[in-house]
Amino acid sequence: MFKNLSYLWLSLAIMALQIFLIDELSIAMWLRPMIFPLVVILLQMEWRPIWVLLTSALVGLTMDLALGGSGLYTATIVPLAVIRRGVMYFTTKRSIEHGDQTSLLSRLSSRQLLAYTSMMMFIHHAMFFIMETLSFAHPMQLFATIVCSTLLSMLVAWPILRIFTLKIVSK
Amino acid sequence: MNRLIEFIKRIYIVLLFLVIEVVAIWCYATATPYTESKLLSRTTAVGGAISGTVNYVKNFVSLPDQNEALTARVAALEEELERRDAIIDSLTPDTEHIPFLDSVDVKFRYHPARVTSMTTNRQHNYIVLDRGTRHGIGMNMGVITPNKEFVGTVVSCSENYAVVMPLLNTRFKIGGRVVENDYVCSIFWEGDSQYEVTAVELSKYANPQAGMTVNVESDRMPRDIKVGTIKSHKLNNTKSAYSVVLNIAADMQSLSNLLVVENMHQGELDALIETINN
Repeated sequence: MFKNLSYLWLSLAIMALQIFLIDELSIAMWLRPMIFPLVVILLQMEWRPIWVLLTSALVGLTMDLALGGSGLYTATIVPLAVIRRGVMYFTTKRSIEHGDQTSLLSRLSSRQLLAYTSMMMFIHHAMFFIMETLSFAHPMQLFATIVCSTLLSMLVAWPILRIFTLKIVSK
Repeated sequence: MNRLIEFIKRIYIVLLFLVIEVVAIWCYATATPYTESKLLSRTTAVGGAISGTVNYVKNFVSLPDQNEALTARVAALEEELERRDAIIDSLTPDTEHIPFLDSVDVKFRYHPARVTSMTTNRQHNYIVLDRGTRHGIGMNMGVITPNKEFVGTVVSCSENYAVVMPLLNTRFKIGGRVVENDYVCSIFWEGDSQYEVTAVELSKYANPQAGMTVNVESDRMPRDIKVGTIKSHKLNNTKSAYSVVLNIAADMQSLSNLLVVENMHQGELDALIETINN
């Protein structure tokens, strides 16, 4: 089962956390965690693609307005809406099948959910930092930024994933 | 019609995704000069590479190779002419030996280049050349046609390509000089006609007439590079200077083989100017 209202509150909390806390932290230039992609990543898989696409555009637009991204946040989060089913199949070998009674996310094990979320976060971080720098002059530094920021993002995202598993998807 | 609607229904998600992405990237690209120049150089490099491939195929069945060879020949002859002029200028009644052509130091060198892609229908037009830093092209070098008509200035360079800001760009400005009376003016494009540019700040004593020629006034190019001819003129509001409309000499719609002009003394000149500024 997927509790939509609880998910809405969780999404708002994630975005508020990103805007008012995580983005205010200045740990290092190459260490910038981003957890707001979770809103799109953890959207119900059974949702119609058009709603997922519009929701991701709305999340990106909100981030752009709140954090002054000038379109960067939107440009890098919208592709997640398109690729998430493919990434789900690639990482867990699971897909939506005709006649499913429960949400696909609720049928994932913790390890599968972590693998899917990590891959999506890595893709998002890679797109974000490549578009932000627009340069491959220092490829190792860029790669380190993507990897370290993804790891830190996943560390921050872990409690949220636990809440998601316990409160929003029930098995 | 029904099939078209069915097709659009099938791919509307992809279309919507592309629209959102394009709008977001466009917003991001135009947000700062850094992103604008970076994305421009990336897209021109990709566009340049694609156009280069297409042109390569076309070359098998058309004349660009011969044109390129002729442009290179023009470049060589221009340099030779520079050397001859330098020899003539150095001659005095006491001269005993005329120096060899190859031993004379020239002020300007000419690099032949071919247009890979260009636009003329926007406010900020650019031209991409198939020559870059590897071929001796550098920032701020002038670009002319083989007929010595002014085209623009190099604004960005990669290893194999150069981006030229042409006269037909509203951000472009250059000095001009009326050939008949040596009065100087400032030339720019207002973004209207693709055949005309505007010259302002021309002295009220210049007495401009239709048909007079205006050349480029820049230390980066020889003095005989033609910008255009005067089409019409009027005094400005304060009646202190003329505003002049020029017919552009170069055919900006059909540029193919060009020459990039390098001032061999530019480094020395820049250093000298810097000492004054400091």
